[in-house]
Amino acid sequence: MKKAIAIILLAFIAVELFVVFYKIPFGADRMNVARFYLENSPKKLGVANAVTAIVVNFRGFDTLGEVTVLFLASTALGSILFRRREIHTRLSHLRTSVEASVIVRIAGRFLVPLIILLGAYVFIHGHLTPGGGFQGGVIIATGFLFLLLAYRKFTIEHRTITFVESLAGITFAGIGLIGIFLGKTFLENFLPAGKLNDLLSGGIIPLIYIAIGFKVAAELTGILDTVLSISIDVKQKEIESQTEKNE
Amino acid sequence: MVATNHILVTPIYFIALPLFFAFLLPLLGKIYKSFIRIVPGLMFAYLAWMAVVLLLYVYKTGNPVIVKIAGWAPPIGIDLVFDQFTGFIATVIAILGFLVWMYSYLFKKVEFDNALKYFLLLMLIYAGSIGVVITGDLFNQFVFLEITGISAYALTAFYRGRDGAEAAFKYLLIGSFASTFVLLGILLIYTQLGTLNMADIARNIDKMDPTIKVIAFILLFTGFGIEAEMFPLNGWAPDAYSQSPGPIGAVFASMTSKAGLYALIRLSFTIFDFSSANELLFIMGILTLVFAEGIALRQEKIKRMLAYSSIGQIGLIMIAFSFNTYLGVFAGIFLMLNHALVKSLLFFSASFLAYNSPHKYIKDIQGFARYMPVTALMFGIGVFAIIGFPPFSGFWSKFYLLSAMAEKNFVILIILVLSVSLIELVYYFRVLHKLYFAEPTGEYQPHTPRWNAMLAMVLLALIIIAIGVYPDLVTGFIGKAAHAIMDKTTYINSVFSI
Repeated sequence: MKKAIAIILLAFIAVELFVVFYKIPFGADRMNVARFYLENSPKKLGVANAVTAIVVNFRGFDTLGEVTVLFLASTALGSILFRRREIHTRLSHLRTSVEASVIVRIAGRFLVPLIILLGAYVFIHGHLTPGGGFQGGVIIATGFLFLLLAYRKFTIEHRTITFVESLAGITFAGIGLIGIFLGKTFLENFLPAGKLNDLLSGGIIPLIYIAIGFKVAAELTGILDTVLSISIDVKQKEIESQTEKNE
Repeated sequence: MVATNHILVTPIYFIALPLFFAFLLPLLGKIYKSFIRIVPGLMFAYLAWMAVVLLLYVYKTGNPVIVKIAGWAPPIGIDLVFDQFTGFIATVIAILGFLVWMYSYLFKKVEFDNALKYFLLLMLIYAGSIGVVITGDLFNQFVFLEITGISAYALTAFYRGRDGAEAAFKYLLIGSFASTFVLLGILLIYTQLGTLNMADIARNIDKMDPTIKVIAFILLFTGFGIEAEMFPLNGWAPDAYSQSPGPIGAVFASMTSKAGLYALIRLSFTIFDFSSANELLFIMGILTLVFAEGIALRQEKIKRMLAYSSIGQIGLIMIAFSFNTYLGVFAGIFLMLNHALVKSLLFFSASFLAYNSPHKYIKDIQGFARYMPVTALMFGIGVFAIIGFPPFSGFWSKFYLLSAMAEKNFVILIILVLSVSLIELVYYFRVLHKLYFAEPTGEYQPHTPRWNAMLAMVLLALIIIAIGVYPDLVTGFIGKAAHAIMDKTTYINSVFSI
């Protein structure tokens, strides 16, 4: 009975939402603010990628918030799964017993530097080409995921991760604060905009995107490592229960 | 609007500084361990001072302080609005933030990692709550709602027990629904109007398709209602209040729920133009009040009781705002102030009274008044103030609420509020009776608060008594705040005049 009511209510919400979203015409021109962004990001900011101009400049304050959300998510995950990680360091010999295949290990040696290079390229060119700090950071984190999967001995120093993410966060917020100290507003550009399509253009925008790239890479790597250490912990428990049964 | 670009005093610091120091805190901890306590304290003190300065400026000149971000005027960029209403709530949050810091200065003195995490999360939940209140942009409000929410989940799971994890997971599930609803609502508005600025939405709201407008309003109202602990979306609140560390109960009561409530009010009063929004606020307020107080009566655990009482107060505030008269809004803001102060004092004292009891049953603290007389007295002051006895601040807030009802000739409502006060009286006095007159069981050792916690509690109690004896301290600010929230046109014009 309870389930039936829940399903009926959910269906009702779904129908209401469908009706409303169906009403919105596809591709209709409702771009009051967006048109301004499109026209002015190359002209006034010297940024070729309008998406980057919106993410880092026009709505950079939201991005600072989103970076904080990510920071919080990795902190919260660490705080919930903390005790498990202690178990895992004690049982680090277990990780070495399940080594990845030769192909994965050798390929990792070739690919990981390239992956990291690609990630760095994506966030350094965030103001020129599609992509940016978030995307570049994720690419770098996949490189570390590769290392974690290929080499069971590979461990990530959490102190380094904390250091990188702190430094990147301070850089982002600090660049914003410099704007205030120079008599402008928070996160306002205080460097020369440069020539459109140059690597050194867009004022503070590439600097912020590089900081975001480092931060996202460090945080996601930390999250991956934390999650990986629980799965190993669970595996250890399975093995323990099996040996108990055998005995 | 002289102070918009001031270097020392600008509303942007309410958000920029906590975020900056939250990122910096792990590094500071490496240099000198006590920095993780001292630096947040200096920041909270500075921001509380700054809030008072800004509020006095706004109060005297009558001009709101509006700040552009990244140099773009609204609606192109994001703006922060520190006017008589948002400024008042932000000031209350800022002062309580400082008091919460003072109360928890010695928190987890021995465990460095946990203390670091605690102060970091405290700064972020503070920044998120103030951000929800002072931002002038709907999507930015969503971002701050996320920051508040995720730091609240982390603080709920702070003690890594099974109950804490369960409470945090419950909160996480409901909170994710809240975020999704808010985001969908914002999306609907954006597809119609192509803007995210609140003032811009408010002046163009009649251009929206009526059906889409209704659905967008319902989505946003539900989403923010979850954070405001509105019935029936508050299942997370009692668990979160009782599982989080002691001072965080005060943070939930004085910061996060106020931020959610503010968003509901801004939605109904400024952004949308439904006259029935007030009726919705009224009905939800009544339901929240009656259910919460009814459940509070049956609670055996002290923190759960305080949590349900807190939800009941939210209901009362929603009823007060739903009248949409000057007196009603005035009473609503006074209730918000009173609830933030008094509930913080109650959580502060209760968490020391029940310090050594693992499940925080009310019977565990019986007779503790003889061991910790000052803490018990603080709890007593909180009880008298929340029920509404003179000479405490709660008296005036309930007095203005009843006069607002009398002005509209709502006799039944007056009876309802008075009988709810009677219920409050019953369950709070039950605790006071046990605290003062029952024989101690001897099962748990009392834990006397340290000087910093004591100082924070005494300061709060003094503020409560000062407002109770001399309400003119705050009525001027509250009066201007009530005018500011009811005057939609001035809000829109002042945002676009920068």
